[in-house]
Amino acid sequence: MNDSQLILTIFAAMALGTPLIFATVGEIITERAGILNLGVQGTMLVGAVSGFWATFETGSLVLGVVVSMIAGAVFSMIHAFASITLRVSQIVSGLALTIFGTGLASFLGKAGSDPLVGEPSREQFLPLLRAGTGLADLPVAGPLIFGHDILIYVAWLVAGAASYYLFHTRMGLSLRAVGEDPASAESAGVNVAWVRYAHVMIGGALAGLGGAYFSLALTPTWVDNPIGAAGWIAIALVILASWRPWRAVFAAYLFGAAERVQFTLQTLGEPWSDIPSTILAMLPFVLAIVAMILLTSGKRARFLGAPAALGIPYFREQR
Amino acid sequence: MTTRRFIIEPRGLASLRLTILIPLASVAAALVVGAIFLALTGDNPYTVYKHMVDTAFGNSRGLSETLVSATPLILTGLAAAVAFKMLVWNIGGEGQFLLGAIFSSGIAIAMGSGTPAAIAIPAVIIAGALGGALWASIAAIPRVYLGTNEIITTLMLNFIALNLMNYLIFGSKSPWRDPAVSTFPSGRPIPESFRLTEFFKRLDVGIFIAVAVALVAWFLLSRTRWGFEVRVVGDSAETARYAGISVPRKILGVFLLSGAFAGLAGGLWVAGPVGALDPRSLDLGFGFTGIIVAALARLNPVAVIPVAVLMGALNNAGPSLQSIGVPPEIVTMLQGAILIFAVGGEFFIANRIRKPEVSAAATPAEATA
Repeated sequence: MNDSQLILTIFAAMALGTPLIFATVGEIITERAGILNLGVQGTMLVGAVSGFWATFETGSLVLGVVVSMIAGAVFSMIHAFASITLRVSQIVSGLALTIFGTGLASFLGKAGSDPLVGEPSREQFLPLLRAGTGLADLPVAGPLIFGHDILIYVAWLVAGAASYYLFHTRMGLSLRAVGEDPASAESAGVNVAWVRYAHVMIGGALAGLGGAYFSLALTPTWVDNPIGAAGWIAIALVILASWRPWRAVFAAYLFGAAERVQFTLQTLGEPWSDIPSTILAMLPFVLAIVAMILLTSGKRARFLGAPAALGIPYFREQR
Repeated sequence: MTTRRFIIEPRGLASLRLTILIPLASVAAALVVGAIFLALTGDNPYTVYKHMVDTAFGNSRGLSETLVSATPLILTGLAAAVAFKMLVWNIGGEGQFLLGAIFSSGIAIAMGSGTPAAIAIPAVIIAGALGGALWASIAAIPRVYLGTNEIITTLMLNFIALNLMNYLIFGSKSPWRDPAVSTFPSGRPIPESFRLTEFFKRLDVGIFIAVAVALVAWFLLSRTRWGFEVRVVGDSAETARYAGISVPRKILGVFLLSGAFAGLAGGLWVAGPVGALDPRSLDLGFGFTGIIVAALARLNPVAVIPVAVLMGALNNAGPSLQSIGVPPEIVTMLQGAILIFAVGGEFFIANRIRKPEVSAAATPAEATA
């Protein structure tokens, strides 16, 4: 492997990891409030289709991003209502959201007399600095630091902001208290239900944005399920990132690299290109399982920072 | 205490009427949601639903296809039901189904065409169940002995299983791949003696196996000591430990049984309608739909049977919608919506809602709307 291939691989891994950062940071915020949302995959797809549609209709990328986030937030309210107000199984409710969202996104992409499917996006996210201009021309740092589209930098910003919010603000403290011990948080004057609703919504908005990154940047044409299994991977990344937004950035890039590896090996020639792509496609999932077993077995999950009340419905009356 | 418009309190035991009414209401509510989306995208919901009912039940061919699709769903539904009952979150029905298919087609190809049916049929059944249970064990053993969260491991195993099947057919010259077809890779047909007998168009005897397994599962769970202990563990692992029940062994047993059910579904699907390890006919989401079946059946193994027929009808009706210009994905939407309403409906089964000013004794409170 020569240097330029290495740089290309890292560059692609960062792009592939970016939607994972949005979705993972979103799920971290949701889980910090004590709500497990397995609906990320469905929410991302809804964000992907609605963001694509908005840009397709208006030609505005900003509007596409805004619409995808609103759609994700509204869509995740279904899960919030089921798990916070009705207090039913968060696991089943989240799966329901994913199945519904998967169907909804495909349906919306194909429905009507003038379907979206197969249509290229009118606009797409491009690198801010064209190659060969100014900073983007620097060796190594040029492409890797200055060569990206704006959402890759937004992802860094989101992770940084989430980290600051969680660990250095009063609201973040309340949020973590709700996820750890809702009864104590409630007696300290925190409105548990409100905090949970708000953060499921933020998580949904970020998942929607992650979905839109696929349909507006990575594959700017509407295809059925443009996101692969990204939503599921994001849920695993939350644990690998031990519920910390900054670690999610590195975990997401690692998984981006695992996805990219099959293309890179193709370019290296024999014997690397002989490894079947179906085997390499297993890599991210195998990585997730191995990491899960190593990191979360026994009591380790608690030391990692798993919110103690994660997935447990909160009954106000049962204090 | 602040004044409230109504009071929510847990019900003791929900009436049978309610446990039937609420799932039915979930289906109705999902149809309404589907109708809204159909109307918004310019289709007449009545026409679409009528077309679906006609396709799924309107003639003998439709009815047969509905039951063909219901057969694996009974088993993947059972897989989810027995696991969820014990709070074992096996979301890996999809992968266990595929491994069942890989194992049963593998044994059929290995044993060859000389095998008499009396050996061949039990062989595919056992191989299917074994494949599913083994695949489940990859998540079950870490869960039981290391405490690893099974939701993510079972999920990830779905994608690994899918890629494994694709490897066997598209990525290699494995024995599963048909050497006779060189244009587009496909699965090698299994010998005839391994195929289940068809008796009503494409419907084969696999449906009797699935129904029998459902009845056995019901008996096991509700009429045996093992089933009783499983239910105790599901209600409270603490209680079970005090009662001297080995919780890890129970969880492992249920997890593997769940995997075996899903694997059997894959085995019967290969030995029945498909007849080969054919990725296009296997990656149909039976594992996930099984979760919907289990939830709507409220984890009752017998109720799984009619609910599987309903979901089979939806699966069957889906592709035919293309002929009237409606995306078949409306079916996935409807199934997802049914699951959302079914899980939401659990609230109304578990709780009663009443007005605070009327005394509880005076009103047999029914707030199910």
